Amino acid sequence: MKFVLLKIIIVIVLLLSAFSENIFPQEIKEEVREIITNTFNKDVQYDYEKYIIPDSLKTKVENTTQQKFFSESVYILKIFDEEILSGVALLDNVYGKDMPITFLVIFEDSGKIILADIVKYREPYGAAVQNKNWTAQFKKKESNSGFSVGDDIDGITGATISVKSVTKGIYKLSLLYKEIKESLWNSSYTDLINR
Amino acid sequence: MKRLKSLLFIMITAVSIPGSAFAQDFDFFEPTTTVGGYGELHYNTSSKDGDLWKKQLDFHRFVVFLGHSWSEQWSFRAEIELEHNFVKDGQGELELEQAFVNYHHASYLGLQAGVILVSAGLINEYHEPPRFFGVERPDYNKLIIPTTWFGNGAAVYGLVEGFEYKLTIMEGLKADGFSAKSGIRGGRQKGFKADAENLLFNGRVDFVGLPGLRVGGSIIHNNAKGDSITNEINLAEFHAQYQANNIYALLEAGNISYGSREIETSRGYYFDLGYNIGSLFNIDSKIVPFIRYSDINTAAKTKTGGDSEKKYHYTQWMVGINFLPIDQVVFKIDYGEKQVELGSATTEMFNLGVGYMF
Repeated sequence: MKFVLLKIIIVIVLLLSAFSENIFPQEIKEEVREIITNTFNKDVQYDYEKYIIPDSLKTKVENTTQQKFFSESVYILKIFDEEILSGVALLDNVYGKDMPITFLVIFEDSGKIILADIVKYREPYGAAVQNKNWTAQFKKKESNSGFSVGDDIDGITGATISVKSVTKGIYKLSLLYKEIKESLWNSSYTDLINR
Repeated sequence: MKRLKSLLFIMITAVSIPGSAFAQDFDFFEPTTTVGGYGELHYNTSSKDGDLWKKQLDFHRFVVFLGHSWSEQWSFRAEIELEHNFVKDGQGELELEQAFVNYHHASYLGLQAGVILVSAGLINEYHEPPRFFGVERPDYNKLIIPTTWFGNGAAVYGLVEGFEYKLTIMEGLKADGFSAKSGIRGGRQKGFKADAENLLFNGRVDFVGLPGLRVGGSIIHNNAKGDSITNEINLAEFHAQYQANNIYALLEAGNISYGSREIETSRGYYFDLGYNIGSLFNIDSKIVPFIRYSDINTAAKTKTGGDSEKKYHYTQWMVGINFLPIDQVVFKIDYGEKQVELGSATTEMFNLGVGYMF
């Protein structure tokens, strides 16, 4: 009897954890899909993998940008258009005043930014950092471009903290991408479908 | 039957565990508690009509922000301020300027309830020292928009297609605190067992769709309650700010109309213009010389008319420099002259200051 009761409790707990799922990860996946399909076309295919940043590289990039990585890893997305690798995206987070800001940067093989976009903004203030007009400033920038807010990048009054944080975050990913891009662009469509 | 039950158990487990494991991917939020703050030390000197200079050193504000996020949607924010080092015998101030629960449903909709800030002008909600020119806050933000204006209430806010909006309902003003000298400033209840009979309504819209530009305005309506009479006030203000390409420019203008008693209108405006000359030397620090012009009249229209409409009318110009070695620390110097319309008394002011925010 006790064993049956235990099984029932375990089932209830498991079901609750599955269905009280945090809907936000799914929201992020959907938003990422929308950004990528709007940038390329609706038929592109991509995969994502968690990339653990080597300690020495992590420290080097953090020291240059004066901003720590959100975690020990970022997500890498390889985007295939008609079976040809057309872009590589990095998904990462920075902190605004209190909450993480999730953002995506899509790079071309040369290292230039195709698009930078905010995937999820959680703060009650500074939401204007999501404006496409603001994120459009990062197009064509690369690791040796200027990322100074007020000089190279226009700010947003009332969103100073978010603006600076996201700008540094994009700069950080540009530096990281420069160091790892060679291995990423050796991928083939076969690698994608075999995953 | 026993086998069927075991099979069912295994199937449910098989479905549940991958679902839970997947939920870990892209799950970036963790509950956090944050501490922030700002503060400023002032050295103020002034001389009226060539009199002996008055000099004062004062740690004007020491502010602590506390925040906690329980989830992506639910958070709490608080701001505690100590003014002039300590509170004793009517000197100094210790205030709870913000303490609200925030529900952030999405970018286009959020709710706040607790001690909140009135949404008016450029400084009332964003007044950390590195964000404005001059050692003291602009006079406009003392006498027309009585910064820091806070109280008990609730608000709904959001961002839609490049427009930020905020609608607030909160405790009203006390009409007996209004004066010709300082407008509605003395009428703030500041949340202290606030009389809630006549609530205040505040609406604001800003366009922030272009990088570097903020343009908007707000209106405030309150049937301010007094001991013997109610004074209906309506405040309308416009603000515009441009910060891009090392240029810093802003304009604020506001008008308050009163329904009863001696003062009928208070109005004022000011503009700032500055440029980061640090960019010319290719340095990371910001060196921003600026000029300011203000025109304030807290008794622009009165029932009596005549000199009573000139007594509190003054114009002021100021020049100064904000030096920011890093964006969160600022050293300030400014010099200005204020001239009152009635009697033409002129006051010179020279100030130094240091401020920080984190």
